[in-house]
Amino acid sequence: MAIIATYNIKGGVGKTSTAVNLAHLAATIGYKTLLWDLDPQGASSYYFRIKPKIKGGGKELISGDRELDGLIKGTDFDNLDMLPADFSFRNLDLVLDARKKPTQRLAKLLKPLVKEYELIFLDCPPNISLLSEAVFEASDILLSPIIPSTLSLRTLKQLKKFLKTKNLKDIKLLPFFSMADIRKKMHREIMGNLVLEHPEVLDTVIYYASDIERMGYERLPIAEFIKKSRSTESYQKLWQEIEVLIP
Amino acid sequence: MSDINIYFQIPGYQKAEKFIAKLEKKVALQIAFKEYSVKKFFDSFDWRLYKAGLLCELNCSQTLSQLRLIEMQSGQQIASAKTDEVPTFADDIGDSGIKSKLKPVLEMRALIPLTLLPYRAYHINILNNDQKTTVRIRIKEYEDLPHRLCIQTIRGYQNAALRISKLLEKSLGLTPINKSVLHAALKLQGRKPLDYSSKLNIELAPNMRADMACKKIYKHLLRAIKVNESGAIAAIDSEFLHDLRVAVRRTRSGLSQIKNVFPSQITQDFAVFFAWLGQVTSKARDMDVYVLNFTSYKQSLPDSMQDHIAPLYAFLKRKQVTAQKELSAKLKSPEYLSKLRAWESFLKEPVIEKPVEPNATRNIRQLACKRIWKNYRRVLKEGTAITGRSAPEALHELRKTCKKLRYLMEFFQSLYPKNEISQLIKVLKNFQDILGDFQDYEIQEQNLRKFGEEMMRESTPTETFLAMGVVVQNLCQKRLGARREFSSRFEKFKQPANQAIFKTLFSGELRA
Repeated sequence: MAIIATYNIKGGVGKTSTAVNLAHLAATIGYKTLLWDLDPQGASSYYFRIKPKIKGGGKELISGDRELDGLIKGTDFDNLDMLPADFSFRNLDLVLDARKKPTQRLAKLLKPLVKEYELIFLDCPPNISLLSEAVFEASDILLSPIIPSTLSLRTLKQLKKFLKTKNLKDIKLLPFFSMADIRKKMHREIMGNLVLEHPEVLDTVIYYASDIERMGYERLPIAEFIKKSRSTESYQKLWQEIEVLIP
Repeated sequence: MSDINIYFQIPGYQKAEKFIAKLEKKVALQIAFKEYSVKKFFDSFDWRLYKAGLLCELNCSQTLSQLRLIEMQSGQQIASAKTDEVPTFADDIGDSGIKSKLKPVLEMRALIPLTLLPYRAYHINILNNDQKTTVRIRIKEYEDLPHRLCIQTIRGYQNAALRISKLLEKSLGLTPINKSVLHAALKLQGRKPLDYSSKLNIELAPNMRADMACKKIYKHLLRAIKVNESGAIAAIDSEFLHDLRVAVRRTRSGLSQIKNVFPSQITQDFAVFFAWLGQVTSKARDMDVYVLNFTSYKQSLPDSMQDHIAPLYAFLKRKQVTAQKELSAKLKSPEYLSKLRAWESFLKEPVIEKPVEPNATRNIRQLACKRIWKNYRRVLKEGTAITGRSAPEALHELRKTCKKLRYLMEFFQSLYPKNEISQLIKVLKNFQDILGDFQDYEIQEQNLRKFGEEMMRESTPTETFLAMGVVVQNLCQKRLGARREFSSRFEKFKQPANQAIFKTLFSGELRA
């Protein structure tokens, strides 16, 4: 059993497509999987054609008044369920702040689901907040997509520092390059330098590709509309790298 | 929270394609795929899974071959595994989920295919405005049975499933069903579930003539012998022979306990035959028991010795094979077949109108009461005479008397109030168990020593004999434990409350 969060302080780096494709891939090979869309934008809910709405909103959910079990929706794929997003998730920080031990809240809510699912993916909103901290406390793996840009080095350092200051030693940070453009010299250089400095960066690179962008049009995980492409193979490789690191 | 399935029957062998066309006019749907499949149901010969409310089915299609365990009442799947073949015994099932559910129910019984159903399956998705699947529908078009439809609820979309269910029932004329297709398939073969049970259930009328009642009982037992015969010959599992032997023992006990009902020559003649049958089947049964017991022998040893006992298993298996061959030959022999046929003919003959045998025309209830009451008092007498110093033979004799009493009570249970007779049978069974254990342990000790002597001639490693010695010692401990428990079990059996029921049920007719 593992809880895997896809997270980056920055937005638009490929968190959602990673969560959607990896959750789908894991479910296809037989893992009983849940994907929780924590982002109020509800992009992963959209990919699975599930309405980004939950009864009682984020408040009832965080308070524990409404059990997570009753909010889960089956996707169109075997072994894969989803906890959809809700627009009220934009206020999750406030809701968490009002509770005792807010950073432990998410782990507590997830506890009953651990028995049912072998893998839980958390698709997180960008920013660093109380919710992110709660996600870090609850997760075993923090999967962080990084666009090879000058800012990314800074962002990764920030994240590492944050985990250290908060004493979050149990979580395994797994950065990987996302939306990389092989044609750009700068991308190639940054990737080369970053790997030297941060050996924990995974080997697999998810390159920028129009088929990944097409997911929004198809409203499907990539493997459902393309049998084989560089992107589908990259997600498979990425999953293989992560799978062996699952505690 | 598990997803719920709702089942329907499609009326009048309506073709699936035609039905789907009708459904398409009412809801947005997509045929995900169609495929040919074959469904095979499995159960033990005595319906252990069915009795436990379980269905075991193997579904083979071009794409997937899956063994599924289904809860009969709700139709929900409780375990599944990808496999092409179903092993005969629960022990050999690879999937731990299915194995853990089946093993305690099946025990030593083999899984036997019940029926084979070819069908064409249509997998249909019902879509919402976002083209998201909210309900899954499976239509199964069987060759000789009414077609079936199953709504598979998707988590979080229960309301959509209920809406479709209502639509199918109200607008498309489908009938909800709660019985598995197994029932319909068995009906097609002229069978029904639970058509075999090793338990006696013979309906007798209290004022029936004793000879007629006895023939009814023996016919029931003869059927048990016949239906178990081929399974015992083929050694499908050990219970076929066991049930066959129980029916033989019951017949023997009936012939010796209910006397002067049939002409003495007939009674004597068949008593000899059934005694022979008991004897020629005993060796194979003994070997079955030792092979079945082997795991417990092994587990009773310290970890370091468990591997040392393996040669005993090989030895037992060899002896089992030889005994099984001998058994098969006997059960196929002309002497067995002709005598059993003669017994069958005799039972089928109408009873003699004015027989000379004094008990033949007696009312069966009177005779039953007399025999049960007599045996019951004998059990009390023999049991009371046993002290801490009594020889094992005394306990063996008592065990035999108890068996006779038990068989009589089971033959005639329909003549007595159900609750009371069941309670007394239970009380007796509890007492018999300790007597049975005592003797079983003793015989096992003796035979293991005997096997040891035989194995010495086969250059068996010394460590095997040491391990066998420990097994014998463990059995001896258990036997002594059973012996110690005897008096408390007997006290429980003969307690006044039980005596009172025995008296009310069985002594009344004598006084009358």
